[in-house]
Order: sequence, then C-alpha cells, then structure tokens
Amino acid sequence: MSALLAVSRLEKDFGARALLRIDRLEIEQGGAYLLTGANGSGKTTLLRILSGLEPARAGEFRFREQALALMPYPERLRREVVYVHQHPYLFQTSLRHNLEYGLRCRGVPAAERARRVAEAIAWAGMEALRAAPPAKLSGGEKQRVALARARALEPELLLLDEPTANLDEDGRRRTLALLERLRDERRTVVVACHDAEVIALEGFARLHLADGEVALAATER
Amino acid sequence: MYLLEPTHRAFELLFAGDPRLLQAIWLSTWTSVVAIALIAPPSVALGFLLAKRRFPGQRALFVLVQALLSFPTVVIGLLIYLLLSRRGPMGALELLFTPTAIIFGYMMIALPILVVFTVSAVQGADPRVYETARCLGAGRVRAAWTTLWEVRFGVLAAVVNGFGRVVSEVGCAIMVGGNIEGLTRNIPTAIALETSKGDFAQGVALGMVLMSVALGVNIALAALQGKGGLR
Repeated sequence: MSALLAVSRLEKDFGARALLRIDRLEIEQGGAYLLTGANGSGKTTLLRILSGLEPARAGEFRFREQALALMPYPERLRREVVYVHQHPYLFQTSLRHNLEYGLRCRGVPAAERARRVAEAIAWAGMEALRAAPPAKLSGGEKQRVALARARALEPELLLLDEPTANLDEDGRRRTLALLERLRDERRTVVVACHDAEVIALEGFARLHLADGEVALAATER
Repeated sequence: MYLLEPTHRAFELLFAGDPRLLQAIWLSTWTSVVAIALIAPPSVALGFLLAKRRFPGQRALFVLVQALLSFPTVVIGLLIYLLLSRRGPMGALELLFTPTAIIFGYMMIALPILVVFTVSAVQGADPRVYETARCLGAGRVRAAWTTLWEVRFGVLAAVVNGFGRVVSEVGCAIMVGGNIEGLTRNIPTAIALETSKGDFAQGVALGMVLMSVALGVNIALAALQGKGGLR
C-alpha cells in the first residue's frame, strides 16, 4: 500500500507546553487505524491538525505523494479529509439536509444526492429516523448520522474522534458495527479511542500517542 | 374624559381613512422596510466577522459599533444633515428633506443594533457548527451562511429590533426629512407635531398604529421562531 498521507516533524505547542513532536506519521491508502493514548495526549489535536481545524508546524506534509503546506491548510483537502467530532453536530434542519450538506458543497447533482442519501440511510440503519428532527436524536443516533454523513462524501481520509464516547450500550454496539463496516470497505480511516471495546477491534493498525510522539504499535491488516 | 375623548376621535380618524394619516403610515412603513432591507445584509456580515475572525483593529471596531448604539439619533441626523446639506460633501445629490435622506439616517441607526445582535447570536452558536460545515467541504462563505442559519432566530431578532428602532425614531427623521406633509412626514414626526399643536386625536391615532406595527412585527417573529426561539 502507498502512503495516502505523510507528515514529518509535526510540532504543536499549547502555550509553553510542547504537545506534539511527531517525527514521522504515515497513513496508508485503504488503511484502518486506531489512535490510542492517554487523556490529554493530543489525539484530538492530531486529528484536528490533519483536518485543518488546528494550525501546526510541519517539516513536510504530503498527500497522495504531493507536497503541500499544512498551514494554511489547502482548501481542496477539505473535500478529501473529513473529521467527525467526538460529539458530532447535526444542523438543526432535517436528517436529509444533514446527509446531503457535503454533497451540495461538492456540487453533486440532485439525482445523485438522492441516491447517496438513500444509501447512507440504509448503511447506518436509520430508516426509522428518516423523519426525526436532528435535535431529538440520541447521542448514538447522532453519531451514526454523522458517520453516514461523512462516509456519503466518499472522502480519501476519515478521521473519527472517539466515536463511542458517552454512548449507551446500544449506541456503542451499532457504532462499533459501523466502524467494522468502514474497515471492511477498505476506507482509509483513523479512529481516536480509549474505549477498550474499540481498541479490541480486529483488523485495525494501532497508532499510539505518548509524550507527543506517535508510534505504530502493530499492524494487524 | 381627558383621555377618552381624543381616543374616540382617533378611532374615527383611523376608520375614516384620513389621507394625512395614511400618508404618514405608508411613509413610515416603506422607508423603514427599505432601510432595513438595505442595511441588514452588510451588518449581519460585519457582525459575523467581528464574532468569528481575528483581524487588526477588530476590538476598536467593535467598541465603535457598540458606542454607536448609544448615540442619540438626533446626533446621527445632524451628521447626515451636514453631509447632505447644500454645502456638504454630498450636497450636489440634493437628498436633504427627501425620503431617501430618512432611509439613509435609518440605515445608520439600525446598523449598530444589527451588528451587535448578530455578534451576540454568532458568539452564542455552538463552535462545532462552523467546524462541521468546513469539515464537510463548505468554503468560508458557505460555512458562515450555515452558522447564521443555525442562529437564525437571533439574527431575526436583530432585524426585528432594528426595524422597531427605526420605525419609532423621530429625531433623525425630523432633522433630515424636515417633517414635510405628504413627502417626509411619518408616524413619529406627525405625532410630535400634532401633539405640539394640541391635536391629541391625531397623535393618539398614530400612536395606536405605531404600537400595532410593533406588536404585529413581534407576533410575526414569535410565529416564525416557533418553539425554536424558546429553546
């Protein structure tokens, strides 16, 4: 597999504190990764940097073999890298509008949007929620909508921030199943987690963040 | 009896469709609507920028806008008068004592209200709204629009407050409009004039119209907000 994303000498400080000092990080095309690390180790910050939500310094940043600047973050990468918050935000409109928002941003024609929205609803098993107002959904349901919304865009890289955090048992089970589906579909996905059940998922490579450094613990693919 | 008699006559004037009364009502309505329609988009955009972006002079600009909130409208009228008067920099346009001058004044009065309310609404928005829009591929303008849509009840409240302020404004309208009957006499200036002449019935009638307009606009806002506005 070739590296979809490669970044070297990535540095991020919070005030006087050096949060991240990553010598090299590579994400391979089609790879599924679990990013582990203690609370406050910088998992969320790393995902936010890779999705352009946080500025950081980098010696070299390459995406699909092309050298790019990490700061300012390239606008075109926003169409290819999608980050999903730990507690995803759903626009206070409708489920359909949420699912097709990114597709509209990409100028996808209406017929194709309708097809992808229908597919996203089926993928996440949300047929019963089709008419529910987003504000009324539970945490687990919101997470599933957010995963389906991100996946519908067919991004090159999906960055998921602790998708099972604070979910009830049913929500966790369903979300875990979706993570396994993403892995089986060979989507390039990085999942930040400290949930034992997520960490136990098979077929994910392990990235561990400690003392600001990322280490590839083992590759199980 | 002191209050009842002019109120009774006020109703007579209203139901008789007194042309002077109708002219003032019409002028107040259309100048206020046009002023708000023209100034709301740039004000909301400025409010968004002040709330979300960091740029040199941002703090000073916000303080200035906030200070404009407490400016007496008659002073704003005076400044516009000086701009539009024959010897002023915009005197050649001959806009003084026209409805256009009133609209110009109303725009200046509404601007700080719209900006400050928008800043407040956007600052109150969940920061994940803008980030989510950007992460899903929206450009800056689209993400800004999405954020404003998410706080639409706050933005709508800004517009309604701006409208309420200008529709009831009297100092600037007299200063730059001149209170000319049939041309620039609107509801508040007519109330001021008729009351000073001792014609309380006209004043009461126009006051009732003004209050009805304010009530109507706020009822419409509440209906638009529905449950969303009370979350």
